[in-house]
Amino acid sequence: MQSTGRGSVVDVALQGTGLSTAAQLDRVRVLQRLRLGDVAFRHLTRAAAATVLIILGGIIVSLVWGSLPALRAFGVSFLYEEVWNPVTEKFGAIAPIYGTIVTSLIAMLIAVPVGLFIALFLTELCPMWLRRPIGIAIELLAGIPSIIYGIWGLFVFAPFLQQHVQPFLIAVFGEIPILSTLFAGPPYGIGVFTAGLILAIMVLPFITSISRDVFEAVPPVLKEAAYGLGCTTWEVARYVVLPYTRVGVIGGVMLGLGRALGETMAVTFVIGNAHRISGSLLAPGTTISATIANEFTEAVGDLYTSALIALGLILFVITFIVLAIARLLLLRLNARVGA
Amino acid sequence: MSVAAFTVPTVTHSLSKDEELAEKISVRDLDFFYGDNRALKSISVPLYRGKVTAFIGPSGCGKSTLLRILNRMYDLYPNQRATGHVTLDNANILSPSQDLNLLRAKVGMVFQKPTPFPMTIFENIAFGIRLYERLSKSELEDRVKHALERAALWEEVKDKLGANGLSLSGGQQQRLCIARTVAVRPEVILFDEPCSALDPISTAKIEELIDELKDDYTIAIVTHNMQQAARVSDFTAFMYLGELVEFGETTRIFTTPNDRRTQDYITGRFG
Repeated sequence: MQSTGRGSVVDVALQGTGLSTAAQLDRVRVLQRLRLGDVAFRHLTRAAAATVLIILGGIIVSLVWGSLPALRAFGVSFLYEEVWNPVTEKFGAIAPIYGTIVTSLIAMLIAVPVGLFIALFLTELCPMWLRRPIGIAIELLAGIPSIIYGIWGLFVFAPFLQQHVQPFLIAVFGEIPILSTLFAGPPYGIGVFTAGLILAIMVLPFITSISRDVFEAVPPVLKEAAYGLGCTTWEVARYVVLPYTRVGVIGGVMLGLGRALGETMAVTFVIGNAHRISGSLLAPGTTISATIANEFTEAVGDLYTSALIALGLILFVITFIVLAIARLLLLRLNARVGA
Repeated sequence: MSVAAFTVPTVTHSLSKDEELAEKISVRDLDFFYGDNRALKSISVPLYRGKVTAFIGPSGCGKSTLLRILNRMYDLYPNQRATGHVTLDNANILSPSQDLNLLRAKVGMVFQKPTPFPMTIFENIAFGIRLYERLSKSELEDRVKHALERAALWEEVKDKLGANGLSLSGGQQQRLCIARTVAVRPEVILFDEPCSALDPISTAKIEELIDELKDDYTIAIVTHNMQQAARVSDFTAFMYLGELVEFGETTRIFTTPNDRRTQDYITGRFG
């Protein structure tokens, strides 16, 4: 047996006599203090989480409250009337709703495939020395403020489209049914089509960088297994990488779509701000956020203001529906792979 | 016995009575580099048709590296290169003109960790088959069933072919990967420590499976488990620090190794 002065660790653990009563009291005190900290921590995190709900709830309440006069005055017809006349105080939201959805659709049609291709190139095919430059370029693209896209779009991109691209589109699709309607009319330069293109450029970095990050997280051995069966790079990307990363990719696409739906400044510059629905994509139009940004300063009457707030509420609902669809899409995808 | 005598080993086993050994794959004077680091040094070794060849040796000796040369998996990564000769049915697979997809279809691989694809059990098998063949639905179902039977998995999964491959246990996942490899009808199967992540029962099942598969395929297996090498293989190659120290019939390697280092390793003195 060892002397009492130097009891082994085992003795202390077994008998609990290693600590004097005073030391034990000290220890209890320390533990109590720590427990107090834990309680404070729990409440702090809970309060932070509650803030989100309070802010969200506050926004919804004020949007609904603010739009009540307009909704009362026009009822459901607010959703499908095209007229937008501040002088006679007749308001209908279908033109901006249409513009919002169509410009976002054009943007996603272009940005999703291009973004995924860039991400796949960066992770699967790109030589090492080229990866960083392209990656940095994408991050810089994401960092450009939207006002810069706006003035660039108005002064450089739109005239370029007007002189070189749109006449070409009109000529090529002129004879084909449906497409001839979509690309009809004089080449204004500004319009729904141009706004969609600008949005595509703006959301491209989001989709690209998120997809790249999730593609890089695919375990190399999983890809090797697919290559080991004799798959080509395309087959590995299509059947292994994309299914494995579907949650992340859809998240990135939705983030991009959310930005496209709500983007204000750049779109306001290039869309033409015309409250009408035109069959041609080359014609000017407007979006919800562009309308609000353009007109809130001149909204003098209560009904006018309320109509603008109601537009905001509709944008909110559209975004919510988009998120819900994304959820549904994920559930269906998961069901198909048996997860 | 001098070490130099074994850097280019000769086949020291005796041919059994009426069996003719044919080299399915021959590796000659193979060097391999990770950047400037020479990981394999003048390896020469045959893989005989219809036989199981085990590669043993301490970690970092180059066993897995050697295996990954046989299906050119290293090609996926920059700064890795192999020099020397590796022939499959007398055709040089290291040649730049080698069709990699074709090679990998002929030389299948099963990895250390089970790697089911993110799809259903059925699709995991059907996927590989569809890469090479256009089959009717019933033919495809037959092939999938056959592959799963070959991998001794059919009975366990026949009622849940629509479930995700990841829902299986580790051992089942590994057999699914074997079934997937078998389904594309390879000629050679490479096993890279196929049991190191598995429990003893699953391990026994996989070993049994390897034993059944060797009638139809040429098999190479890398393993850290010497009992496993002794149980499943016909030939054993002992590697150490990027060199092939000794190659021969498994029974001889484990009973009367020629090299001191082989003896030390298999008796557990290092490794």
